[in-house]
Amino acid sequence: MLPMRPELLKGHLDALLLAVLEHGPRHGYAVIETLRTDSGGALDLPTGTVYPALHRLERAGLIASNWETVGGRRRRGYHLTPAGEAVLGEQRAVWDQFATAVTAVLARRPWPATA
Amino acid sequence: MAGHGLNPSTGSRTPVATYLDDLGTKLPGPRRHRSQILVELRDGLDVATDAHLAAGMTTERAQAAAVAQFGSPQEVADAFAGELTTTYARRVVATYIATGPLVGIWWLLLLHPNPWQTGPIAIIAAIPVLPLIAIAIVVAGGTLATTGRLMRWLPETSPRGAAAATMAVAGVSVAADLTMIGLVTVSATTSALLAIVAVATSVTRIACSTAVLHQATRMSRYRHAE
Repeated sequence: MLPMRPELLKGHLDALLLAVLEHGPRHGYAVIETLRTDSGGALDLPTGTVYPALHRLERAGLIASNWETVGGRRRRGYHLTPAGEAVLGEQRAVWDQFATAVTAVLARRPWPATA
Repeated sequence: MAGHGLNPSTGSRTPVATYLDDLGTKLPGPRRHRSQILVELRDGLDVATDAHLAAGMTTERAQAAAVAQFGSPQEVADAFAGELTTTYARRVVATYIATGPLVGIWWLLLLHPNPWQTGPIAIIAAIPVLPLIAIAIVVAGGTLATTGRLMRWLPETSPRGAAAATMAVAGVSVAADLTMIGLVTVSATTSALLAIVAVATSVTRIACSTAVLHQATRMSRYRHAE
C-alpha cells in the first residue's frame, strides 16, 4: 500500500473522527486506534497529533467529553452530540458528491475510438 | 496497568515519564490546560503500553513502542499549539466581557450619576471611551462566535487571528483604563471613595491586561501546525 500523506487527510479528519464516534462513546486513544484499524492501517497518524483535533471538535460542539476514573487512571471519554450527528450527515453527502466527481475524472477509461 | 515514573529495577525515568516531561515543557499556554492534556495523553500512552505488554513485550520496550507511536514531543506540541492558543483566547475575551461591567459601573456612578435621565449622548460625553469599549465588545464577541459552536455556520478564526483579537481587546482595555484614570485626575469628582474604587478596578485590569498582552504575544509567535 502506498503511504498516505498527512496533507491528504486535511479537511477530512473531522468527518473521520465523527464517523468513529458514531459507533458509540470512546476515549481518545480508542478513537485514534479505531481510525487506524478501520482504515486497514492506511490512516496511521502520530497518535499524539490527533488529540488536538478531538479538542477542536469539542470546542465546536460536535462532540462532548467527560472525565472518569478507570482502574485508578483518569480517562477522558468522547461522544457525538446531536450537532455532530448532523454535521457528519452533511459531510458524508459532500464526500459522496466529491468522490463521485473525482472518480469520474480519474477513472481509467478505454482510449476513445476515433471515427 | 502500565507503570510510569521511575523504572523499579534501574531507578531511572521511564520512557513514558520522560516523554511527558519533555512534552510538558514544549506545550505553550496556561499550566492548568497543559496539565489536563498531559493527563489525557498519559492515559493514552498507558493503554498503548498495555497493548504492547499483552503482545509479549517487556515493560521498557512496550513503553518505548507506545511513545514512538505518539509522535515526537515537538510534533505533538506543534499540533496542540493552535488549540491551546484558541482556548486561551476564548477564555480571556470571555473574561473581559464578563468582568467589564464590574469596572465600568464605578466609572458610570462616578462621572454620570443620572444616566437614565440625560440620555446616551451625555453618557458618551462623560465617559469618552465608550465607543472604544463598544469596539472591544464587538471584537471579543466575534472571536467567541467564530471559535465556538457557531463555527458550523461562520468562518473559523485561526489561532493567530484569535491571539490577535485577544491582544486588540487587551490593548483597547488598557487605553480605555488609562484614559479614564487620566480624566479623573484632571476633573473635580463628587465622591473621593467612588474615585478610589474606580481607579483601583481600572489599575487592576491594566495589570491583568499587561499579563494577557505578554502571554498572547508569546502564543501568537509559536509555530502553529497548519
